[in-house]
Amino acid sequence: MGVIETATNPWGQSVPIHIEFYLMWAAAIGGLAFLMVHAIYVQFLAAKETHTYSMTDQAAAARGIPAKIKRHSGVARIFHWVMSLAMFALLITAFLPKMGYPFAWVEYHWIAGLVLTASIIFHIFHASFWMDFWSIWPDKIDIEDGKRRWLRATGKSAPEPRKFAKYPMENKMYHLIIVLAGLSVTLTGVFMMKRVRTPFFTRNPYLFSDWTWGMMYVLHGLAGVGLIGLIMAHVYFALRPEKFDITKSMIGGSITREHYLEHHDPERWPVEANK
Amino acid sequence: MPAKTTPNDSPHRLVGKNYQTPDLVAKVTGRAKYAEDYRVDGMLFARLLLSPMAHARIRSIDASEALAMPGVKGILTADDLPAPADAITDQGVVIPANKLGDRGLTNEPMYQGEPILAVCAVDELTCAEAIEKIKIDYERLPHVVDPLVSLRPGGPNARVQGNVWMRPAAPPAEPGKPPLPPPPAQVAELKWTEEDFAAAKDGQMPMGKPAEEWSFGDWEAGLKSADLVLDETFVSPNTSHQPLETRTTMAYWQNGKVYVHTGTQSTAQTVPAIARWLGLLDEKKQPDLTKVVVISEYTGGGFGSKITGAISAVIPCLLSKKVGAPVMMRISREEEHFIGRARPSVHGRTRVGFTKDGRITAIDMYTICDNGSYDAQGDGMTAGRMASLMYQPPAMRMRGVSVITNTSPRVSQSQPGGFQGIVVMEPILSKAARKLGIDPVQIHKINSPEGKAEIGPPVRGKRPYITSSFIREALDRGQELFRWDARKAQVKRSGTKVRGIGVATSCFVGGSIGFDGLFVIKPDGKMYVQSGIGNLGTESVHDCNRVAAEMLGMPWDKVEIAWGSSTKNLPWACPSGGSQTTHAMTRAAYITATDAIQKLQQIAAKDLGGKPDDYVVANERVSRKGGGAGMSLAQAAKRAIELGGIYDGHELPKGINKMTATSATALAGQGLLAVARDTMPRDGLTHSFVAGFAEVEVDLETGKYFIKDYLAVADVGTVLHPHALGGQVLGRSVLGIGHALGQKWVYDQHYGIPLAKRFHHNRPPTILDVPSNMQWDAVNIPDPETPIGARGIGEPPVGAGCMAILNALSDALGDDVFRRAPVMADSILASLEAGHPMEEGLTAHI
Amino acid sequence: MAIIRDIMPAFELFQPATVGDALGLLDQHGSDAWVLAGGLDSFDWLKDRIKRPKVVIDLSQIAELRGVKEVNGGLEIGAMTTLTEVVRNPIVKEKFSILATGAELAASPQIRNQGTIGGNVSQDARCWYYRGGWKCYRAGGNICFADTPTAVNREHAILHADRCVAVNPSDSAPALIALEAQMVIRNAKGERVVNAEDYFVGPAIDITHMTVLKPGDLLTAIRIPATWAGAQFYFEKVRDRQVWDFPLMNVASAMVVNGGNIEKIRVVINAAAATPLRLTAVEDAVRGQPRNTATGEMAGKLAIVGAEPLRYNGYKLPLMRNLVKRAISGVEEPKWA
Repeated sequence: MGVIETATNPWGQSVPIHIEFYLMWAAAIGGLAFLMVHAIYVQFLAAKETHTYSMTDQAAAARGIPAKIKRHSGVARIFHWVMSLAMFALLITAFLPKMGYPFAWVEYHWIAGLVLTASIIFHIFHASFWMDFWSIWPDKIDIEDGKRRWLRATGKSAPEPRKFAKYPMENKMYHLIIVLAGLSVTLTGVFMMKRVRTPFFTRNPYLFSDWTWGMMYVLHGLAGVGLIGLIMAHVYFALRPEKFDITKSMIGGSITREHYLEHHDPERWPVEANK
Repeated sequence: MPAKTTPNDSPHRLVGKNYQTPDLVAKVTGRAKYAEDYRVDGMLFARLLLSPMAHARIRSIDASEALAMPGVKGILTADDLPAPADAITDQGVVIPANKLGDRGLTNEPMYQGEPILAVCAVDELTCAEAIEKIKIDYERLPHVVDPLVSLRPGGPNARVQGNVWMRPAAPPAEPGKPPLPPPPAQVAELKWTEEDFAAAKDGQMPMGKPAEEWSFGDWEAGLKSADLVLDETFVSPNTSHQPLETRTTMAYWQNGKVYVHTGTQSTAQTVPAIARWLGLLDEKKQPDLTKVVVISEYTGGGFGSKITGAISAVIPCLLSKKVGAPVMMRISREEEHFIGRARPSVHGRTRVGFTKDGRITAIDMYTICDNGSYDAQGDGMTAGRMASLMYQPPAMRMRGVSVITNTSPRVSQSQPGGFQGIVVMEPILSKAARKLGIDPVQIHKINSPEGKAEIGPPVRGKRPYITSSFIREALDRGQELFRWDARKAQVKRSGTKVRGIGVATSCFVGGSIGFDGLFVIKPDGKMYVQSGIGNLGTESVHDCNRVAAEMLGMPWDKVEIAWGSSTKNLPWACPSGGSQTTHAMTRAAYITATDAIQKLQQIAAKDLGGKPDDYVVANERVSRKGGGAGMSLAQAAKRAIELGGIYDGHELPKGINKMTATSATALAGQGLLAVARDTMPRDGLTHSFVAGFAEVEVDLETGKYFIKDYLAVADVGTVLHPHALGGQVLGRSVLGIGHALGQKWVYDQHYGIPLAKRFHHNRPPTILDVPSNMQWDAVNIPDPETPIGARGIGEPPVGAGCMAILNALSDALGDDVFRRAPVMADSILASLEAGHPMEEGLTAHI
Repeated sequence: MAIIRDIMPAFELFQPATVGDALGLLDQHGSDAWVLAGGLDSFDWLKDRIKRPKVVIDLSQIAELRGVKEVNGGLEIGAMTTLTEVVRNPIVKEKFSILATGAELAASPQIRNQGTIGGNVSQDARCWYYRGGWKCYRAGGNICFADTPTAVNREHAILHADRCVAVNPSDSAPALIALEAQMVIRNAKGERVVNAEDYFVGPAIDITHMTVLKPGDLLTAIRIPATWAGAQFYFEKVRDRQVWDFPLMNVASAMVVNGGNIEKIRVVINAAAATPLRLTAVEDAVRGQPRNTATGEMAGKLAIVGAEPLRYNGYKLPLMRNLVKRAISGVEEPKWA
């Protein structure tokens, strides 16, 4: 049992064709296991964090920190939900038939893929020009603090990690992985559309060599099964009580001042004062 | 159709009469043993590992795991093959070894399916399992399966040396000596320009620099003065020979001699061929005939693909030597597709000028031949040569190029080149007839050869000519038997069906000269004939000997024919290819019978007095003219033994072939031995002709067409054996009809891999695809340049069969519905729907 | 692994004598088992070493799978009944002649003597890329070699292609669908009956199978109801050779005509898609219409709506249009003087 399924091409060469499909189950089971371990850890093992505000409501109000802090613009939220719908459509169309529920999936899959691709392209532009582009990428402090958290969690002594900027470390890491998986799956997916019938171009499976195509399928597959785990984790965290504020912000757009003050460092994420 | 005039009204006693051949019962009862039917003690089996790539170089072979398997006895790779050696003919002419030829196995596979190695084991299953364990590291090389793709600027070359067989010009002759023959063709690179390709309009074949060219007469003036000039492109198909018996071979060695059971078109000539392939040469570098025994009593068809057996026969021979046991290598149908040879397709573009009464003024022909991977194929240029004979242009230019492709090797197939010439020309003749309002039979007659008609380009300033042609008589006979005029007058369209009639003429070489005959009349009064001819279904192995029996007055049931094994003391004979045999071997039989008659006359004169000329041989006796003293042939045979010397074979004439001499020596002393080589004169080159007539019915809603009637009338000189002749005329017509109906190759161009490899993909015609009452006839006019008057028949029916059908089809559908053969329902329906040809005209292998 | 063809690999052969035994073996061996009926499809795969089952279950010894029975005015045909037996059966000839016509046009006499009706409907695609052992979608790969810029696809699909463009090659299937036949499928758990038209699956749903049969399943019989007995039938197969050739396309129709109008009709075409296609839109459009050329032409045009030709199979559009026309209004036979 390997990761890549190979086939003999017409020239008798062994070429990769796609991932081994048991990886789909492996990702699902892995994802589930992670959730359970995490839930148990948080519930029983992790040191309970003491909730401390670094500032009183009054002080905050005095500094002009509003009661509701805008975390996601309307556009960003629409993007997120469009993307998530596309992602679910993609996962369902990709993996349900493999799980033994056959239906004509190809057309839905590439249409959803196009929606995802379009939304990602939109997001890249939107984030580059209208959002604080760097806010989602881990910076030096995140890495230092990550190290501190790890040391502290494993019982070693380390200075207390600082509070977050706009996005918590795990949020940033998740985004990073999603970027990698998402770009892999969409880039390969767009090329793969050359191999099925679409209204856009003439089908040409000979655009690349058999080996290159095979690796593209493998990457698509790895990213795809990776996304199973990632989406499971994402949904899980979205539903966890301590993260629920963030989830709500993806609907309403804002977090509470309390949440802001508890988790974020106003120095690193200055919010505009109410005028 | 009215009953045809029978050619069985021969004035001869045996020649021209039907009889039961000595191999018939064994064939119909299944007792006949083909190569695959033999089993010998300790026999092992071999299977081939074939190249998966269209072109590659082998870096390494790892067979260790395979060889370690129980039951595996050995492998043979290209490294085990003897190096190609120069050969020297009896006349001392050196035939240089072809370094780029097919050797049976290779380290640089030139086509997908080419054998790389063979594994030998106790059974085929073990062979297969062993082959699957062999690891080969291939370096993939560029490939091309379409000649036009290779000719494009920057197009891939099929061989690392180039893409085209070029024939260098002959060196200048030394003063006072005859000019030297041109050196052998060499592989070179030839690319055409973008302008060459752009100059060809839609569907026309582009024409760049040719590799070969000849001309005669002022062809440009001929075209200029013409009332009608047609410029047409037509493409003929690649077709596998597909003999029912694949080239299975079994071999073993005894006392340094290899015994080879195989199928061949010539028992005699396969002996030196195998000796040369195996590197078994004597001190004079000539094939050592004493080292090879060929056993081939029955051959399941060859059609040109087994002229002197098959090169693949060396594999079991060498494996058998390597492992020290007999080895049987059976060839599957798919393997036969790869190694069994095929006719090369020809793209032809031809301009033909006509006067308004239909006479051709000039032909300007250009052919691109899909050469396949190995030896240079002459089909493209032969197409022009045969067109020059069949349509007798006063002037002609012929250009051609034979482009090497990474496809299975080609070789001559029934009417090689001649077929393609007819296929390229006939649509033009048919179209011209319609445009000029001339009857199609008439336009063929107007342009047909007569008598000692000229053929091909000049040789030493003079155009060669043929021995005779009676194709006009054949056309007349066919016109009448086919009720051509009545059919022409009938309603053409009714319902969704449309009918059409077509005629086509066709020609090819019809005989060679210079071979030997050998027989002994023994004291038992019987005649023992040795026949070196292959028994490949044409029956000439037996038929030709009827001439000698007739001349000696020998009843047929007292004639015993030895054939099918070189152990049987066979004389040198022609290979049964190119329709040589009937002509060549009736001549050999004639000259040998003449030798016997002379010897009988001499013996009679010695014993009974008088001069030899006073005696005649008839009714199993040699007796004095006008009655009187005589002796039976049995008595004469006894006397021959007593006299010895030339009479019983202890003294042999000069000039006979080495093989014949060896065989005659082995038979010496058993009776009156007749042996001779055909040195009789012949003025002209022997060619045969066929006129084909067809009626087709097309379903306009499905594109499917059906052949309603077919008639072939042959001009093959004297009819030797009507049943065999009829079998050949109609059998080869069906071969040609297959080229019209659907037989072809299909390749995936991206991978360079054939898709149509088996019968149901290649679609040879079935018995239900041709009319159940196909008719044939022969004009039965003796050729004046050969004593019996008989010529060969194998080739010319093919082109006539194909093109009579396609001419009938264009009569039904009109011009410009199709421009390549085969023509199948899809191209007809799509073209009728679109109103112009829809099939891709030039793409190869679709 | 070097590739070699034409030598059958070893496998374990079972020749059960009853359906029960066969089902037991199928259940026991699951997807390792290969069901062998007449062998005309199987032996190609096995000899070429492309499909390598561990176990082959040969049905030839099961007498109960063979024969044609009359049931309630209809027929029950055992799956192992040879095509020749179907063709020669007097009731088939008399009442359901369309099946005899279709079955008789399959392959060659030798093949019909050996090939079974169950095998004919369940046979695999004949795409030469797939049968050549190329690892395409249908073979579990990720490519269709027959739908590429260089592919030679004259015999491939014009309708309902989904990645794979192979067609169903059966000649008896369209006749059976026209007759409203039902397929009796048994496995170790029991029996299920599916309509003939639902027996076939296209690549959109299952790209590696031609039918709904799953490992463990056995097609045991084909039931033909009395519904269409003696109706007006039309069957035509267009092929390159007059024997031993798969259809370029075939068409089957069963019709009840009343007062010159089409009262009831079923029309089926095959070799246009990966499954035989029942043309329900055509049926709806012609029902109640007079049976004449105009109706036929209208039906033909309607039949090819949505058809997408490949590079070399454009002819299949007019062919399908004309065949459907003929299936409705008949063929105009020539009247030669």
